Amino acid sequence: MSFWQLMQRLDRRIIYTLIFVSVIIPTLFPLKLPTAVTPETMSFFNAVDSLPAGSRILFPFDCWPSTRAETEPMAVAALRHCFRKNLRVVGLSNVGMGGPSVLENVMNRIAEENGKVYGVDYVNLGYKANYQAVLLGMGSSIETIFPADHRGTRLADLPLMREVPNYDSLVYTVIVSDNAMIDYWVSLVNARYSMPMVAGVTAVMAPKQMSYVQAGQLQGLLGGMKGAAEYETLVGAVDKANRGMDSQSLIHLLIIGFIVLGNVGYFMTRNDKREYHGERG
Amino acid sequence: MVVAFFGRGVVVDAVSDEALRWQTIVGGIALLLGVFSIVQVHWRRVATRHEDRVYSAILLLCLAVMAGFGVFGGVGTGSVYDWLFENIQSPMMATMFSMLAFFIASAGYRAFRARSVPSAILLVTAIIVMLGRIPMGQYLYDGLPGWATWIMTVPSVAVQRGIIIGAALGAASMSLRVLIGIERTYLGRG
Repeated sequence: MSFWQLMQRLDRRIIYTLIFVSVIIPTLFPLKLPTAVTPETMSFFNAVDSLPAGSRILFPFDCWPSTRAETEPMAVAALRHCFRKNLRVVGLSNVGMGGPSVLENVMNRIAEENGKVYGVDYVNLGYKANYQAVLLGMGSSIETIFPADHRGTRLADLPLMREVPNYDSLVYTVIVSDNAMIDYWVSLVNARYSMPMVAGVTAVMAPKQMSYVQAGQLQGLLGGMKGAAEYETLVGAVDKANRGMDSQSLIHLLIIGFIVLGNVGYFMTRNDKREYHGERG
Repeated sequence: MVVAFFGRGVVVDAVSDEALRWQTIVGGIALLLGVFSIVQVHWRRVATRHEDRVYSAILLLCLAVMAGFGVFGGVGTGSVYDWLFENIQSPMMATMFSMLAFFIASAGYRAFRARSVPSAILLVTAIIVMLGRIPMGQYLYDGLPGWATWIMTVPSVAVQRGIIIGAALGAASMSLRVLIGIERTYLGRG
């Protein structure tokens, strides 16, 4: 058996081990490579940065815990920017399983860091079933859809929510999403209520959302962990996303290496296979 | 609802709001129905000593524990529900998702072959985008992020837009079929 034939039958456990090592090494010894900022991230940053202090914004966090490694750094960087700009944030989630809990933890952490008060500077409305009805219903009355927040407090008892009866009182929407909810925010809320919005999405979703950016329905876009890392750099608070990009760099290189190696092996052994099949007739 | 989407008025808004309120209530009840259904299915498995009864029992136990702590102990930061979510559920879901990296690497090595011109184009494009989206790619060649951005914003968007428009037209025509009664398969008949 030749070297290339041997490589074609490489044990998958070796591949798994190399992937594991590629994640661990940069985590322990950060490479600190600079991240280039894409125009979509820059637009996202400029849109939030241009909002006047005290503006009320909507912050939907429509994510499952499984994509937390990508979406949480985005939410952290965006919230950090919002609170530093003294924007007042109304959060909610259209993903019942985990969405409101992750949002609650992230909001509390970043709010505490910036000296913000729950109910006055930010609120977490939590989750309500039937997202289409939620998105449309909030246009008329948020209190009808969410009589109480995630903690069970009546909206009438929250100073911020007394100022926000519906979308008319909100000037902007910053979405973080890992699923098709983004389509509904664009087609229902942006289209019907002319609500300007930006979005942070997982890397696999980013190519589709580019069409909304080019159409002006989204004013900016963060794509995956790279988008989050770029935003962290712009906000001036390098955190988990930048650290994660080191591991992602090595893994991408490793996967490319595997693909190239696999193809070289394929072409090197192709004649052997032809001969083999030829002999068998 | 269709009228309310295109224009606002006192009567239209009132009818639309009422319909949305009902829709939210029905959605909540549907969720509850889902819980009853899942309990019923798995309880039957446990009761009939099905070969997978252990998994069903674990599911029922987890459902009861999470729901119990959530309903009686609250879901806020610092609650037991929050602790269970942060330390058990969330890491388990993230672990399942992160397994993809291992499988993609293995599948890429074994199956991603330049067997034809289209697959070779796909392969080269994938490599450019993968390199262009990481800081290391920029470190290797400064122009790579620009190439990757062009691929993602020009040819990729053209295809994505075609898919979106096609899917929207399909959804609109299907909705119309349902509204005028041509499409009845959702009622269990053709």
